[in-house]
Amino acid sequence: MSAASGLTGFKTLVRREILRFLRRPRNTFVPPFVTNVLYFSVFGVILGDRVGGIEIAGDAVPYILFILPGLVVLGAISNAFENASFSIFHGRWNDYIEEPLTSPMSYSRMVVAYIAAGATRGLLVGTLIAVIGAFFTTVGVAHPIYLVAFALVITLLFSSFGVVGGLWADDWDNLTMMNQFIVRPLVFFGGVFYAVRDLPSPYYELSLLNPMVYMVNGVRYGFLGVSEVDPAWSLAVLSALTAAILAIDVVLFKRGYGLTE
Amino acid sequence: MTAAIEVENLRKRYEDVQALDGVSLSVPEGSFFGLLGPNGAGKTTFINILVGLVRRTGGRAEVFGHDVESEYRQARDAIGLAPQEFNVDRFFPIREVLKHKAGYHGVPAGEARGRADEVLKRVGIYEKRDTRFHWLSGGMKRRFMLARALITDPDLLILDEPTAGVDVQLRHELWDLITELNESGTTILLTTHYIEEAERLCDEVAILDSGNLVTVATPEELMDRGPDRITVTLRDAPASAPDLPTLAANRREGRVESVEMDGDQLVVTATKGGLVAPDLVRALDRAGHEIVDFDISRTSLEEVFVEMTREGGSDQQTEPVAAADGGVGRTNRGDSE
Repeated sequence: MSAASGLTGFKTLVRREILRFLRRPRNTFVPPFVTNVLYFSVFGVILGDRVGGIEIAGDAVPYILFILPGLVVLGAISNAFENASFSIFHGRWNDYIEEPLTSPMSYSRMVVAYIAAGATRGLLVGTLIAVIGAFFTTVGVAHPIYLVAFALVITLLFSSFGVVGGLWADDWDNLTMMNQFIVRPLVFFGGVFYAVRDLPSPYYELSLLNPMVYMVNGVRYGFLGVSEVDPAWSLAVLSALTAAILAIDVVLFKRGYGLTE
Repeated sequence: MTAAIEVENLRKRYEDVQALDGVSLSVPEGSFFGLLGPNGAGKTTFINILVGLVRRTGGRAEVFGHDVESEYRQARDAIGLAPQEFNVDRFFPIREVLKHKAGYHGVPAGEARGRADEVLKRVGIYEKRDTRFHWLSGGMKRRFMLARALITDPDLLILDEPTAGVDVQLRHELWDLITELNESGTTILLTTHYIEEAERLCDEVAILDSGNLVTVATPEELMDRGPDRITVTLRDAPASAPDLPTLAANRREGRVESVEMDGDQLVVTATKGGLVAPDLVRALDRAGHEIVDFDISRTSLEEVFVEMTREGGSDQQTEPVAAADGGVGRTNRGDSE
């Protein structure tokens, strides 16, 4: 089993995972398209005109532009999480995860393949949402490197969380619960639709414990050049967290958690 | 020569069930090895330990000299598995499923494509290459399971009940195919409920019962262990079995187990019946009995199997099975026969 043939296994699994969601555009792209057209229409245009601008670091940002990075984050991480967790759980449910599991591919390559595919889906959906936003307002990119870095890190992070979820779940309800009752509330309270600095104490301090605040602000910094928190520090912490969750994923696979008896 | 499979004192415990209890056996490279046992004997657990779907509790398990856990990549690289339960990716047509499986084993995409077509033709379902597994008939699904096991060109082919639920014609076709593979050097490990299958195909069989290895022998040796039944039809048969000195002598030597009359037939149960029969015929002739018909039936492997596993109480100790409600059964994976 050479390194080259191990890489072939990795590439095959990534390809399989990406093809799975690309061949189902009605499941992958239509729901976020419809949802985000509604978000931009209702929150951005109708409510946004009444809200006016949101002040960040002395700059007044139009509301529709303010919510755009948060919507990108919401779509990107939800899809990254959902893809990895669904793929692993569905494979366990129907036993076909045994196809890669009984192969000579290393556990770490399997994990990275699932995470990479989930992150790819998150990035595609995030890009789609940004493009939809561009139909409603002028979208610029103030710091492209930061934007790419944050987009990569947050999709990798949530795809890594998705692996844990896919291994942990023992029923479909568990998957729904994780997405609806953990991921979405954290995003909604993470400063997507409002500036966390506007919150009174102790809600402001509590919000700073929410990792979504750093993700939303990081991506906002990439798009708009303004942020409520230090983007470099946020990126470093999120990168470290991603590495830690990825390592946990590999350990779980090696131990056969949820995969073997 | 390195054994294809070498296990020593292999143990697996599922909570309060001892699925494998210190199994030691060696499967020679190139052999056709059968694994027999009643439901819950530990056959599927044994196989799943080899491929990494079940973690052993203790003991040693190696495939071509590679430990199945510490050197799992080398061990799995050598194995092609056709499990009893269908575990096929249902998102893709079967040709793509095969290409993916080959890819996981390091086969480059171009070569994988060629191999997929080749194995689909070999098992006779090439025309269904663009169909998803779900839409195949039962027999085609079985053929596909074999194709998927073959796509990686394995040195060790593990077949868990490969002919379960297939018609006689397909069973014979699969037998021919498997035999051909074995003749070309592939080691085969076969579990089956069809004793005829083991008798016909295997060089050697191991009988497992309640997680214990009962015996390892060739089918011939096993059948030799069971008694033969000599049936002699007599004209003007006596009411009771004739008192023949040769039968008495053989009985003393332990060769004859029982002698009884069944209507006009004298029925003698004896080990190595072929040796007893000539003496019996001569003795009957000397005693003035006219023989109308004569038959020796050998104990079948099935009878030996039933005899050997009868006292194991296998029905009382059943391995955990995959969740029957369609849930994720990973935590209670076991035999699913």
